[in-house]
This record gives sequence, C-alpha cells and structure tokens, in this order.
Amino acid sequence: MKSPCDTSAMKSFVIELGDISTKLIMGSKTLTGIEEIDVGTAPKELVYEEDKLQLYHYRQEGAVTCSVPVLIVYALVNRQYMLDLQPDRSIIRNLLQHGMDLYIIDWGYPTKADMYLTLDDYISGYLNTCVDLIRKKAGKSKINLMGICQGGTFCGIYSALYPDKVKNLVTLVAPFDFSTNDGLLFSWSKNMNADALVDTYRIIPGDFLNAGYLMLMPFTLNIRKYVDMLDLIEDKDKILNFLRMEKWIFDSPGQTGECLRQFIKDCYQQNKLAKGELKVGGRTVDLRNITMPLLNIYASADHLVPPSATKPLNDLVGSADKSLYEFKGGHIGVFVGTKSQKELAPAISQWLHERDGNGVKKKIPDIKAGRTKTEKTRQGGRSRTIRP
Amino acid sequence: MESMKSFFETWLTSQGHVLDSLTEMVKKYQQSCWVMGAEGAGAPAFGIFPNMYTSWTTAVLNALREKGAADTNLMQETLFKTLGGSNAYLNLYEIWLPLLKAIQGKTLSPDTYKDLTDPKKYKEMMDRVFGFDPEAISQVAVQASKFLEAFAGSAQHFMKPWAEASEKNLKTFPQMMEGRPQAYMQTYHTLFNAFDSTIGRIFHVPPIGKDREKVELLLRSFDDLSVYLAKSTEYQHTMYVTGLTALEKVITSITDKINRGEDIKGFDEFFDLWVDINEKTYFDLFQSEEFSKMQGELLETALNVRQHNFKLMELHLYDYPIALRSEMDDLYKTIYELKKKVKSLEKQFGEVPA
Repeated sequence: MKSPCDTSAMKSFVIELGDISTKLIMGSKTLTGIEEIDVGTAPKELVYEEDKLQLYHYRQEGAVTCSVPVLIVYALVNRQYMLDLQPDRSIIRNLLQHGMDLYIIDWGYPTKADMYLTLDDYISGYLNTCVDLIRKKAGKSKINLMGICQGGTFCGIYSALYPDKVKNLVTLVAPFDFSTNDGLLFSWSKNMNADALVDTYRIIPGDFLNAGYLMLMPFTLNIRKYVDMLDLIEDKDKILNFLRMEKWIFDSPGQTGECLRQFIKDCYQQNKLAKGELKVGGRTVDLRNITMPLLNIYASADHLVPPSATKPLNDLVGSADKSLYEFKGGHIGVFVGTKSQKELAPAISQWLHERDGNGVKKKIPDIKAGRTKTEKTRQGGRSRTIRP
Repeated sequence: MESMKSFFETWLTSQGHVLDSLTEMVKKYQQSCWVMGAEGAGAPAFGIFPNMYTSWTTAVLNALREKGAADTNLMQETLFKTLGGSNAYLNLYEIWLPLLKAIQGKTLSPDTYKDLTDPKKYKEMMDRVFGFDPEAISQVAVQASKFLEAFAGSAQHFMKPWAEASEKNLKTFPQMMEGRPQAYMQTYHTLFNAFDSTIGRIFHVPPIGKDREKVELLLRSFDDLSVYLAKSTEYQHTMYVTGLTALEKVITSITDKINRGEDIKGFDEFFDLWVDINEKTYFDLFQSEEFSKMQGELLETALNVRQHNFKLMELHLYDYPIALRSEMDDLYKTIYELKKKVKSLEKQFGEVPA
C-alpha cells in the first residue's frame, strides 16, 4: 500500500490553513466595503397598490412585439426580484429585450393585520383585481399569466376559475401534484400540524421556512457555500452577486396563516388540487377548465419542487395545446443560471409570440426554440415536449 | 465507534438529568403553589406576575426562538455565517489531523479511526451545522431559576425552598447521570397527574379564578417544556448518530482509496468527501417517514410551549391597559371582514382601479 501523504502534504495542509485565515480577513474587508446590494433594478413603474400588494409595469425601452401583456406571479415565499437578481442575469430584462410587455406582482410583507387572508383572497381577490386592471389598461379581454413556484400554482387555480381572462398560461417549477414524496418539503409537510403552526404564529415567520430550506442540504448550505465563497473574496463583483443571492435567500416574508393553513392541509397533505377537490371561495377548482395553451416548465434536478410534482399538470388540464419544457438544472438555476438566460427566457418568449395572435401562430425567426417532440397525454390532447 | 457511541449515549443520559432537574423544580414549585393556594393567599402573591412575564418569557423564548432572525444587516450576517462556516471547516481540520497522521503511519482503518476522533469536537461541529444550541437548555434552567428567585422574593418566601433546590440542581447540570428522558418525562407526567388529582384540586376552588388559571397554565407550560425537551433530545440524538454513520462511511471511503493506491491530495479533498457523504447520509435519513414524523412531533411540542406561553402572557397582562393578542386578533378579524365588504361593494359599483 502506498502512503498517500508525505511531509510535503502536511506542509500543504498548513498552507491551506493559513490561506483560509487570510481569506477570512480579506473577506471581512471586502464584505464591509460593499455598501449597497442592489437587486431588481430593471426600470418599472408602480401602477396599483392594495393593502400590502404592489403591481408594477416594466418599462419597455424597445418595441413591444408580443401584443398581449404578461402578468408575472411569484410565490408568497421569498421575493419576486429573483427574476431580476443581477443585471446580466435577469429573466425580466431578457424577456423585455424579446419584446414582451411585462407586469409583476409584489405581494409585500404581511403583518398580523393580514393573518386572515385566505387562498381565495389571494386568487379571486388580489390576483383577479390585477388581471382585470391589466386587461382594462391594455384593452384586451385576456392576458398572459406566468406563474412561478407557488405563484404558478396560484395561476393554475386562477386559470381554472377564470379561464375567460387568460390567453396563455406559463408555469415555472410550480407544484400541482402534491402526492409525491420526492422532495423533502413534500414529505415533511405531510407530518406537520398546520393548525398548531398557524394558531401559534398567525403569520408564520420567514425564518421558520428558511430553517426548513437550509435543512435540505445542511452541509452545503451552512458550511461549504461559505467556504467556497472565500475563493471569490477578492473579486468584488462576484462577491456582490453572492450577496445578492444571500439577500434573496434570507429575504423571506412571513406567510399569512389562513392561506398557508389551507395550502398545507388541502394541497400538501390531501392533494386536493390534483384530485379536483380543492375549494377556493366556495368554488371547486377543476384543472380541466384550463383550456388555454399551457407551457409547463420544470427543472430536472429540482430538489424543492420535484418534476413529479410539476409535470402531471399537463395530464390534468383540458388544453389541447400544451407543452412541457425540461430545464436541465435545479430550482434556482431556472432564474439565474446561464442556461436560463440563453435558452429558457428566449423559449418562453418564442412560445408566447407564437400564440399572440387569434389562433394563428406567429413565427419569430430570430429566436431559437430548440428541439421539440410530441407525446400523447391522458386527456387525449397532444403535449409538446420542448428540449433546449 | 463504540467510544463515540458511548459518548452520545452519555450525552443522552445527561439530557435525562436535565429533565430530572426540571421535574424536581416543578415538584417544588407545585408544593409552593399548594401552600399559596391552601392559605388562600392568591391576591398578594400574584403581585409578582410582571416578573413572571419577563423572566419566564425570556427563558422560553430564548430557548426556542429561531436562530438568525431579522436580517437587519445582510453584510454582518453574511460575515457571521462565513465565519461560522469557516469555523466548522477548521474544526473539521482538527478532526482530520489525527486521521492524517494515521494515514501516514499506515494505521488508518474503519476499526481504528474511532480512537482518533474526539467525539466532543465532532458533536460541536454537528451542533454548528444543524444550529443546535447546547446552551439552550441550560439557559432555560438559569432563566427559570432567576424567575423563581424573583417569585420567591415577592411571594414572601413561599418559594424559597424551591429556589434553593433549583439553584442546587442548576449547579449539577454539567454532570452526567444515568437515566433516560422518556423515563423522566413519564415520571413527571405521573407526578403531574397525581398532583392534579389531589392537591391540584385546591385550585379549582371558585374564588381563585384567574389566579388559579395562571398557576395551572404555568404548570402546563412546565409539562409542555418537559415533552419538548424529551422530543428535542430524541431528535438531536438521531442527528448525532447519523453523523457518526456518515463519518464511518468517510473513513471507509478513504481507506478504500488508500488500498487502491490512490493519493489523498489535501484537506480540501477530505472536506469535499466529508460534505458529500454527509449530505447523502442525512438525505437518506430526512427522506424517511420516521424522520418526517419525528420532526413533525418536535415542531408540535415546541408550538405547544409557545402557545401556553402566549396564554400565560395574556393572563398576566390582563389587568394592564394594553391590547392583548386575542383582542388584536378580534380587531384584525373585524378589519379584514370590513375591508372585504368594502372591496365587494366597490366592485359592485364598477370601481375597478385603472
């Protein structure tokens, strides 16, 4: 057996040790030298406010080539500026450059005064008001909805309840089939006493949820990430991007109790949405009412919302025109990864442009769509699978 | 592996001792309550409730509050986390050094490494990874003791024997004793039930009213805390044992590598291997239904403590000219319903914003 280490190896360990100490000192200096961590910098205008909600309209500096506006709906967990985290990796800027007319909802930070807000208040209240407002402003009877993560679930529910107001539905890494145990959050939520949680906190603190997220990969997220960060320490731009991500991760609004109670019990624990048993504001949500074109985007290595929770949507809807897009990466990579900018955003734009007219698919020659294939679905319609 | 396992078994029994101390504290407290109730001295004794509010809430909330709250300064937080991460990295380095020596001396094997690893240091590192606060339980005890000292002082020494006993118990906290938390919890429950069905009945005498409610709630809080501590101990023990399993896998992987004639290039390689194997081992644990259940139960026990604590606060603050939580809840509910009505009427009148 060969000895794996000799005295030179020991020296290298000592050097490693010295190196990390130096980096720590340098790191403290670099970090304390950064004054502002700017996020969400794409120019936008506040067009509507209601309670904690704010609706923004992004400034389109070029020509709008997709006539139907897109309302982006993010999750209640974390903040919507993930889509515009840094100027050179921004889905928002990317879509704007592709001629889209974009609106986005900022749900805000709920306080105890919002503790009674229900799923119905978010969907048939706030979201519906925003949709009506954009329809009126744009002079269109229908608009495009693009929902992300839990926001995608909300958009799915909305589209099932108000199909006449939605022209095209795009969902990104959004859970619909909660029966899966592939993701730890899905497995853990099933044994969580939602009533005790909500009755105790009223507004469930963001830090509580963050603690759960950190537990998904405790060694990577609590140690390795910060040790690796030290390798970037002398590059101020890279550190700034690291800090932008840190800001997003730990910028977690609290969750309104009644809404979360229903979301955990009805969705995570009883899978009522996929079963067609979910009731919102007294109305049963039947996903088969989603008949508009659907683009369902999932991430193949998503550990937060696994493909087994997202992909089934295409089998549950009534749309004849439905596409599945496989993003090769994880949940976060969908928003900030290089592939996301190069492939995903252009593909969304292309898909929406193609469905911008009245039943006539427009072709956008300068945007690559990637390979596609078709597959039969349970509903009998055809589902296109888009692979970049 | 045996020596490390026995370390964690000892740790488990020490947690049992903490519960034992808590049981003792409660027993003394119950006795004092009985004296207080028997003499019908509720009114003067309850003048100390502001102290109860501050001390007890501090004790419980300090112990249970989520770590790393309120990112008021992201830079500072990141720096803190970076230091924490690096510290864990360096701690691992200390664990690694004796292993390195064994590798150099060609003596490392899955059987011999256990004598080279300091389980205390390893536990400290795992505490850091999972955010366990080993001081939390002691803090609870210290705060509870302070509170009861104050209680004793203002309750005309009704509580003095208890305060002395709890102080004595506190000093013995670091010492390890035999016992298991579940057994202590059971003992406590038996004690509590016996108390409740015998001398506890004194509190059901009508004139005592809210004061009786306070005392009963306080006892419930102690009960909840015992249950929480027992569940928390079980949870942490599972995490530590999983950590040991992962470490054993790391060593096996290294020795396999050595046997294949490959080099260990540096500490970073060990670190990466250690992180990857730990993530995988813990993922397997986290994915199990047993873990999911245990975590759900842990959360529920922690929430019970908080809920009773909130109720206690309300009872203590009832006579003060401030709005209570439940009163605010009613107010929020009313505002919520009114807003909903207004919005509905606005829609009916066609006042869709534009």
